[in-house]
Amino acid sequence: MKKTFWLMTSVAVAALWLTGCASTPRVREVELDRAPISSKLEPQDVRRTVEKMAESLLSAPGVREAVGGTRPVLDVEPLKNRTTQHVDMVSITDSLRMQLLRSGMFRFVDKSTSGTDIEFMDAQANLGLTDQKKAIRPGQQSAAQMYLTGALSEIKTQVGRTVDQYYKFSMTLKDLRSGELVWADEQEIRKESVKPRVGF
Amino acid sequence: MKRMTTLAGAVLLTTALVTLTGCVETAGTSVLTDHVTGSSLVLEDSTRLRDQIQVLKVNYDEVNGLKRVHITLQSTKHRRLRLNYRIVWFDANGMEIDPATKTYRNLILEGRDAVTVTGVANSPACVTSKLRVRDLETAD
Repeated sequence: MKKTFWLMTSVAVAALWLTGCASTPRVREVELDRAPISSKLEPQDVRRTVEKMAESLLSAPGVREAVGGTRPVLDVEPLKNRTTQHVDMVSITDSLRMQLLRSGMFRFVDKSTSGTDIEFMDAQANLGLTDQKKAIRPGQQSAAQMYLTGALSEIKTQVGRTVDQYYKFSMTLKDLRSGELVWADEQEIRKESVKPRVGF
Repeated sequence: MKRMTTLAGAVLLTTALVTLTGCVETAGTSVLTDHVTGSSLVLEDSTRLRDQIQVLKVNYDEVNGLKRVHITLQSTKHRRLRLNYRIVWFDANGMEIDPATKTYRNLILEGRDAVTVTGVANSPACVTSKLRVRDLETAD
């Protein structure tokens, strides 16, 4: 009887040992679109939003009408963060710009790097290092014909141990000449988390 | 006889422990659509998912020079299903275009309900699409 007990115990310990039991943190790469682990805004939410917005903009009939076979010059303004969380809105804007750029439907300018452009042109004109016939002079850049802007907002509700978090990304595309809104869309995300009864 | 019973008990215990510590099937259902010939192919690699959803309809069109696909999925269960789906695109040579920009999206399917999912190509070069559906539990 005692022998059987020890055999069973040793088999159980061996099985647990084989399936992993370590005191150091386990680190592994996970896929980008993993299941949610909190009610906060997570990378997969941002990725889904960027994809949805790019698809919506590229397939909107109003955009086709406004573009009309040309490739208008577009600037993407950083989204406004109206939430209490820190979210890198510039990174979201960059991802969206990249997806739209790859579609080939628009040309892009970036107002946020204008300061660097001026520095380069100034250096080319004044430092004496550049062949003046080849130096780029100010006043030749393309003008933005449309711009994309938007905001992220949230509503948080807590009842007992349950936290309900709602996020809304809203974006608009505006024609600078006419002042008309060519496209608008929004992406809503709602998450719920329940705190454990016992925990630290 | 007693030794055989003990051995069988040990094997059963080991199997149960290994099963409990994780073995998740990550295969899913795929729908391949060729937007040039119009042919569609449904691959049901997961026995579990095959019993939960079925592909009802595949439609495709073009918007602003980009291919678009609409696939209708129906739940065969009476309970709510939590799934993930992703639509990726391939060019004429079968090369996947910008796979990182196409993400798994959430799909909550109510009992016996049908939902149409839509995907738009990333570029005019895309000619073939592939929808992949997976169980949310397999998403880590």
